[in-house]
Amino acid sequence: MGGLEKKKYERGSATNYITRNKARKKLQLSLPDFRRLCILKGIYPHEPKHKKKVNKGSTAPRTFYLLKDIKFLLHEPIVNKFRDYKVFVRKLRKAYGKSEWNTVERLKDNKPAYKLDHIIKERYPTFIDALRDLDDALSMCFLFSTFPRTGKCHVQVIQLCRRLTVEFLNYIIASRSLRKVFLSIKGIYYEAEVLGQPIVWITPYAFSHNHPTDVDYRVMATFTEFYTTLLGFVNFRLYQTLNLHYPPKLEGPGDKDSKDQDEGAYAMDSESCLEKLSALSASLARVMVPVTEEEVEMDEFPADGENAEQEEGLRKEREAQEMHKKLFEGLKFFLNREVPREALAFIIRSFGGDVSWDKSVCIGATYSENEPSITHHIVDRPTQPNPVLGRYYVQPQWVFDSVNARLRLPVEEYFPGVLLPPHLSPFVTEKEGDYVPPEKQKLLALQRGETPGYVNESEDEDSEEDEEGESDDQEEEEEEEEGSEKEEEVKLKVMEEQRTQGKKVGVTMGTLKLEDKHRLEQEEANEAKRLAIMTMKKREKYLYDKIMFGKRRKVREANKLAQKRKAHDEAVKAEKKKNKKARRA
Amino acid sequence: MKKATWRPARRRQPEVRVWVSGSPPDIRCRKYDLRSFCNMVGGRGPKRDAGDSGFLGFRSGSVDPGTVRRRRRGPRNKKRGWRRLAEEPLGQEVDTFLEDVRLQERATGGLLSETPDENLFFVDKGRGEEDSKIKQDLKKSFWIDRVLESNSKVPSPKNILAHQVPNGKKLKRKQRLWEHLAQQGKQPREVRKAQARLLQPPTPKTPPSDPADRPFYDLWAQDNPLDRPLVGQDTFFLEQTKKKGVKRPRRLQTKPSQAPAVEVIPSGGSYNPSFQAHQALLQEAHEVELQRQKVEEKLSRQLAFPTVDKAPTQESAFKELCEGLLEESDEETPAEPGDGDADGPAPRPPGPEKKTEQQRRREKEARKLKAQQAAERAARKRRQEVFQLRGIRLQVAQRLTELARRRERRRLKRLAEDEKPRRLGRLKYQAPDIDVQLSTELADSLRKLKPEGSILRDRFKSFQRRNMIEPRERARFKRKYKVKLVEKRAFREMQ
Repeated sequence: MGGLEKKKYERGSATNYITRNKARKKLQLSLPDFRRLCILKGIYPHEPKHKKKVNKGSTAPRTFYLLKDIKFLLHEPIVNKFRDYKVFVRKLRKAYGKSEWNTVERLKDNKPAYKLDHIIKERYPTFIDALRDLDDALSMCFLFSTFPRTGKCHVQVIQLCRRLTVEFLNYIIASRSLRKVFLSIKGIYYEAEVLGQPIVWITPYAFSHNHPTDVDYRVMATFTEFYTTLLGFVNFRLYQTLNLHYPPKLEGPGDKDSKDQDEGAYAMDSESCLEKLSALSASLARVMVPVTEEEVEMDEFPADGENAEQEEGLRKEREAQEMHKKLFEGLKFFLNREVPREALAFIIRSFGGDVSWDKSVCIGATYSENEPSITHHIVDRPTQPNPVLGRYYVQPQWVFDSVNARLRLPVEEYFPGVLLPPHLSPFVTEKEGDYVPPEKQKLLALQRGETPGYVNESEDEDSEEDEEGESDDQEEEEEEEEGSEKEEEVKLKVMEEQRTQGKKVGVTMGTLKLEDKHRLEQEEANEAKRLAIMTMKKREKYLYDKIMFGKRRKVREANKLAQKRKAHDEAVKAEKKKNKKARRA
Repeated sequence: MKKATWRPARRRQPEVRVWVSGSPPDIRCRKYDLRSFCNMVGGRGPKRDAGDSGFLGFRSGSVDPGTVRRRRRGPRNKKRGWRRLAEEPLGQEVDTFLEDVRLQERATGGLLSETPDENLFFVDKGRGEEDSKIKQDLKKSFWIDRVLESNSKVPSPKNILAHQVPNGKKLKRKQRLWEHLAQQGKQPREVRKAQARLLQPPTPKTPPSDPADRPFYDLWAQDNPLDRPLVGQDTFFLEQTKKKGVKRPRRLQTKPSQAPAVEVIPSGGSYNPSFQAHQALLQEAHEVELQRQKVEEKLSRQLAFPTVDKAPTQESAFKELCEGLLEESDEETPAEPGDGDADGPAPRPPGPEKKTEQQRRREKEARKLKAQQAAERAARKRRQEVFQLRGIRLQVAQRLTELARRRERRRLKRLAEDEKPRRLGRLKYQAPDIDVQLSTELADSLRKLKPEGSILRDRFKSFQRRNMIEPRERARFKRKYKVKLVEKRAFREMQ
């Protein structure tokens, strides 16, 4: 019972954490410098589990850091640079105050600067790590590159961001790794697959500037500073993997004289290179001419059961991807001046299409509007003054939707002035039993290779299949029915049966025999399933029922939504008719 | 008489103002004698004889000192003499004279006696109709301006230093020397330096802090410029001399949150959304708004001041003060009379009767027997448990599954907790508003699309949500001292 009394807060969690202010004092940095250091080094605040213990009895909300993290920060060479910079600012201010201009010049020449290379290497030990964190870097750089050059941040930063993003876009074009595009009300979301890593980023629309006041620009600038360095190194490496020049060079300087004339109108010689790059219309020069790409043949393994199926699936997926990469190959696009040029040029080029625009819109136009070989003319006005024969006039959404659908969609629905089908998000994937909007169903049918004329039929087939699955479920349901929902279920069943019967007549007209065979197989399968259910243990049965119930509920909800949609569509149709009549009258 | 000439030298009555009035009434001709006017104003002027020097004073007491008769010499050793001296101190006349000269120069631009008559006199033709009022109003400047502008006729002296070159002689001599040397082929140092620079332009200094020209290289290659200087050296040496950085702890490789860096907006946020998705997103935004409204309403309800009919009256306030007190007294009052009769403490209730020796023994025996039986029962049960092994195993299994279930639940809870943004500082993370466009705001083509929300704020909130920065609010300007308002007295008196 003897011994010294244990003092409070000298062991345990109280000693593992340190408050922000104490950490700041330990590092001898001002708060903005400390914040910057933490962002650059990737040290983030922690929320301790027992705040009162850590806070030495107080419950005041504070920001805590792990003490070990702060000790790690103490070794950082950049901290010294921060201190140097502080001294530099002090000296400069003094020299200004005394009007000693020579001193000012000298000090400015010796301004302390730091590099983040070693931090990048430290935070991302491998290249793949860096790729995984590229989402943030890209979004920030794209955002900063659209900022106006008005004192919100340094002009050099904006220019650097612009340069880096243009380089990255050029890489995506060269490697054809774009996968998805989504035009939202906020900005444009892209997804690319770079070296097997999915990378998602968002770019703002051009000219959509509102500068919110509740954002700390200093913090954002620090993040951008770090991410520009990261993106620069990543770009270098990516260009190397494709044997491209870095800094990027454009291919084929064929007739320089004629081009130079145009360039003079847009940019000075020093800037025209970046401007031409950012036009995204020319391909990049390679270090050495690539040998014709030998087909990368995957190793064939002896097929065995499940593996073979998987393998087959993978192979199909790969083929589809190859097809997707060549989506616009052989097509020639012309962009009217009212469509977003950069986004469309980027997308079309990264799927192998040729693109051009009016000479007065931007630098780097490769052919004029009168070119007869143009296949698609992208227009965003209801009427075209003097259309040229032999090309499709389509709205820009056709490009985006085609990319997401992985096939060239029929152009009829995208003609200028036509009411567009909705632009669906490619980032949403429906699970089995979820509600699938009719537009998406149509799209899926198209992907399966069915002609658009029979869309409705195929849809019906889908629903029929669904209903068959449901009927199975209902049979199982009969064995164990809850009293509370009985009536509702019965009602639903009746309704569904009516629906299926109403449509079955239409579908099963043509190929009766084939259907029978199919059905026999299915019935057998159903029988086997029923038997399996019967032999289940009680507990497993319970679980199975539960799962089935969840599925049914989902289906029910989907049905409800479908009905709602139908009602809405009918209402819209009725209104349209009314309008038409009114117009005629 | 249109023109009057007047010789001041002959003039002997300076105080008389000459006003020639014989002119026709429509063209009145007035003549002012400035000199006499001035002297008249002074009052003392005419007493003094100006003599024949031709000087005319501009002000009272101005005299030509040359013409003044000699000072009367009074006794200087007498008080009377001192007094006179005090009245007319030495040099006063010179002083007044000079002052008068300056005044004349200032006011008229020269000595009056030397100005020709044409400048002193003019014919007053009266005021025409046209220049009566309007012109005056137009020309008239403010008094305050007139006061401030200089009306001296003496031009301000030129700044001589502005035209002079300091050390001009020296410089001239130097220049001559250099010209002489240049003939011999020698040139000053600056010129030689400039020529040398022209021949050999210095390599332009690259500012180190220019981020746009930062060279990039393959950072992850085997021999990158970053690690090159350290290759092949002793690790111990590198560590001790701090040439090699400290290894980053592994715990820092994990991200503080599992949330994705770029959260894609739900399908309803498409620029041309499908009906269902758009409705779903609208519903979500609507619910958020409802919740916010509810909180607001609750707060306003709680803070509302009661209306007149609900406000407490004097009566109700008194009632509230007496809450509890009165009720107790009500209960007690009927009980009091009963209590009043009893005097002294109530007698203790009779305890249990004392047990006999026999009873104690029997109880003891009974207890003993009971304990024995219980022990036997327990032993028997233990023996029997061998045969219940299956049941026990089942129980154990059940217990284990229960534990596993709980563990799983805990794990899921922790995962869900990880999803939530943490409390990292004084402020809680506030989710941004859902960006949504109403059905009427939706654009029917990409050209007419009006972007919603700000990506900058979106990114900022995302960093906060992923626990990378703590939520903060903008530091507002805070005054150290209270502002004190004082009404100026002049203003107060006016009111």
